[in-house]
Amino acid sequence: MSMAVAASVREPSAQRRAARLFRRNRTLVVSSALLGLVVLTVLVLPLFLPSVSTTDPVHRLLPPSGAHLLGTDSYGRDVLARLVSGGRASLGLSALITLCAAATGMVIGLVSGFYRAADAVLMRLMDAWMSFPAIILAMALAISLGASIWTELIALTVIFTPFTARVIRSRVLGIASRDYIGAARVSGMSRPKILLVHVFPNVLPLALVQVVILSAAAMLVDGAMSFLGLGIAPPTPTWGNMIAEGRSYLVTAPWLVIAPGVTIMLCVFLLNLIGSSLRIAVDARARTLNDLRRLRVRRAQS
Amino acid sequence: MTALLVRRLRDLVVILVIVGTMMFFVIRLIPGDPAQAILGPTARPSDVDALRASMGLNGSIWEQYLSWAGHVVRGDFGTSITYHAPVLDVVAEHILPTLTLAVLSTVISFFLSVAITSWQAVSPRNPVARTLDRLSSLGMAMPDFWISLMLVLVFSVTLRWFPSSGYHSLLSDPAAAVPALVLPLTVLVLGQTALFVLTLRESLLGELPLAYLRTARVKGLSERQVMVKHVLPNAMMPLVTQLGSNFAMLVGGIVIIESIFVVPGLGHLLMGAVSTRDFPLIQGVTLFVAVLFVVVNLLVDLSYALLDPKVRVS
Repeated sequence: MSMAVAASVREPSAQRRAARLFRRNRTLVVSSALLGLVVLTVLVLPLFLPSVSTTDPVHRLLPPSGAHLLGTDSYGRDVLARLVSGGRASLGLSALITLCAAATGMVIGLVSGFYRAADAVLMRLMDAWMSFPAIILAMALAISLGASIWTELIALTVIFTPFTARVIRSRVLGIASRDYIGAARVSGMSRPKILLVHVFPNVLPLALVQVVILSAAAMLVDGAMSFLGLGIAPPTPTWGNMIAEGRSYLVTAPWLVIAPGVTIMLCVFLLNLIGSSLRIAVDARARTLNDLRRLRVRRAQS
Repeated sequence: MTALLVRRLRDLVVILVIVGTMMFFVIRLIPGDPAQAILGPTARPSDVDALRASMGLNGSIWEQYLSWAGHVVRGDFGTSITYHAPVLDVVAEHILPTLTLAVLSTVISFFLSVAITSWQAVSPRNPVARTLDRLSSLGMAMPDFWISLMLVLVFSVTLRWFPSSGYHSLLSDPAAAVPALVLPLTVLVLGQTALFVLTLRESLLGELPLAYLRTARVKGLSERQVMVKHVLPNAMMPLVTQLGSNFAMLVGGIVIIESIFVVPGLGHLLMGAVSTRDFPLIQGVTLFVAVLFVVVNLLVDLSYALLDPKVRVS
């Protein structure tokens, strides 16, 4: 009898287990699904929309209507088509920046956390790097290399690298003091191999979280860069330069500014949600804090 | 304490050397001749030569670097090309609006976030406190340049409550200065408060399960007293750290906001210097920002000593 009870407690049905998994990670599932939807829209929808560069001087600055769901801009171009097409540039570039910054930050963090000699020099460099307002460095690079997608990629990679490097380094420091690393060294494994085989896989989950958090920040800075005219230049639409172009018509055609702004905000918000719920899944401290918060709210409600 | 000051001073030197060197070489990456780029293709060769000499562009790049560094060490940041005045003087003229925005927005955000977080902690059931707490993750997602435009649309264009641009000194003309400061400050405060609330909430939650709180409750303190006297001072440390590390982000935000609201501060100066290719001015402003960063972090370290008796002793 008691055995049967114990078994039923230990093994809930697969359905219930899935339900619990979903409940625990509801935010993660929903926000990932929504972001997936945004990406899918950006990839597929342009096939069914008018071209981004079709100008129509007769239908300038039209408010949102059935024919133009988000209205038209000062050249009579369809705002929805530009928004979706701009998403390709904005999302694509942010993803690229994030991947580059995560890769370089990962290498620097791994080396700096594992080789004490390199640590002092690298971290001091990272500190100086972080002390520098991102936008200023990007502006300096943009004027010296000319504003282009590559300049922005380089500038933002340089800017975001130290943030990843610091997070990865602190995790590596924790791992390097573990017994199994010592055991690997005693068994005669070379240090680079230990770094690759034992340290790297353990840092990977945290790096993934870092990538998501970084991509949210990258979207915001990328938006600001193209708003200031330092990113991809018009007529190629990006969310940032659409806001910049719409600024002159803020009073007569506010939808030109509202639509891309809300879209940036939505994407960044979703990425932040995914990032924080992934962190709860990966990081023990974040999980404890989250459980504690839920407990307090539940206790307060009862 | 002395050790701390010495360490910070060392950091200052290291950071200034790295930032200065980086900016020096980034600017020299420009294809072609900077003097020619400044004066345009129609300039007379004699003018280009004169400008090149005055910018210290003769000789090899290492000679240029050493001569530039030598001048900087002696406090000579060169002469601004567009303002025809020493860079240091130009920077000093534009520092006040930026400092006003930075200090006011940080102070307001600091107190707002402490108020919101502790309110939420004391009464987790209050719907307004919970909404404010949740809004902070939305606040983190707001592009500041876009929110600025939205605020202008609503409060300057539609409601006509506040001017959409302009700046007056708080000291000489407070009646005109305050309305003009409202919108730029609001944008900065929204972003910073969101960040601070998230930071503070996490550190507050980390303090709550600790045993000293049980002691405080057992000896009969109310929940409010526990929060204000025991939890908050301990939970404040990460927030103070955040103030320091957020400084670079804050300056980045101020650059954008000054250009939108036409505030004649360092950001405005820098944007102008970038568009007119005034290289000595760009180098001067960036070095100055780096100095500010180190000073802010020194203040943060000093406030640790005030907040945390452990630091004072060691």
